[in-house]
Amino acid sequence: MLETVIFFFLAGLAVAAGVAILLSTSIVRMAYWLITMLVAVGGLYFLMGADFVGVIQILVYVGGVAVLLVFGVMLTSRQLAPKLRPGRGEVLWLAIVGFVLLEALTLSVLHTRWQQNAMAPGNSVGEIGRNLLGEFLGPFELVSVLLLVAMLGAAYLARPKVPTQGPQHTKGTMVS
Amino acid sequence: MMGLTPYLILSAILLVLGLAIVISKRNAIAMLIGVEFILNAAALNLVAFSRHGIGGLSGQTAALFVIVLAAAEAVVALAIFLNFYHTIATVDIDQGDQLKG
Repeated sequence: MLETVIFFFLAGLAVAAGVAILLSTSIVRMAYWLITMLVAVGGLYFLMGADFVGVIQILVYVGGVAVLLVFGVMLTSRQLAPKLRPGRGEVLWLAIVGFVLLEALTLSVLHTRWQQNAMAPGNSVGEIGRNLLGEFLGPFELVSVLLLVAMLGAAYLARPKVPTQGPQHTKGTMVS
Repeated sequence: MMGLTPYLILSAILLVLGLAIVISKRNAIAMLIGVEFILNAAALNLVAFSRHGIGGLSGQTAALFVIVLAAAEAVVALAIFLNFYHTIATVDIDQGDQLKG
């Protein structure tokens, strides 16, 4: 019973955050609602007994990605932030597409006989570690390479653009 | 004891919300927020299958991969948007049409 109450509270929080982002025009408030959704989904992970995934969700998302997004907001939108209102026709198409997709997904979920086998929540960290170095070893190594590539690529893309022979040359002439 | 279905329906709702955000927003960073919604819906699905379906802890492991990929994607996308902003001084994605053939 308590599980149901907590589930509906967290699920309502996540959905409300999504609707608030959809209706909002301020990018900073969107970032705030994104953090709300991430914390709610992390709470759902804890509710499902996936404590390690919940901790990683809070650490990586709320501690990393959300802060990164806020920095992106501050670095890009001074007063040039575009108005975020879509046109009327776009809203109509969006409502149609969203409604049809939601109906299709919900009906397919409700009409499928899922093979349910509730697993007892327990200490999952050791088993996840054995999974990472056993069955998922190939994806694990791929992800490590991907993180390296993403780090190098982001550092390359975001570096300040210095002219190839600008500052040193002028400084040299000024000294002489 | 809750079953699998509420989590799957919540995941579907989050997916549709994320898709709507990606489609409707013009700000590039807002689109990135929508992508985060979609990825969270996928990870929630995986963890729900791991808890209530079959497959054991493979779902949680895959959810970890989803989180890592989302972080890498956010980093690279933000770097690209910063470059975009330095080039044409806006994050309005409708202005980024210089590459059209």
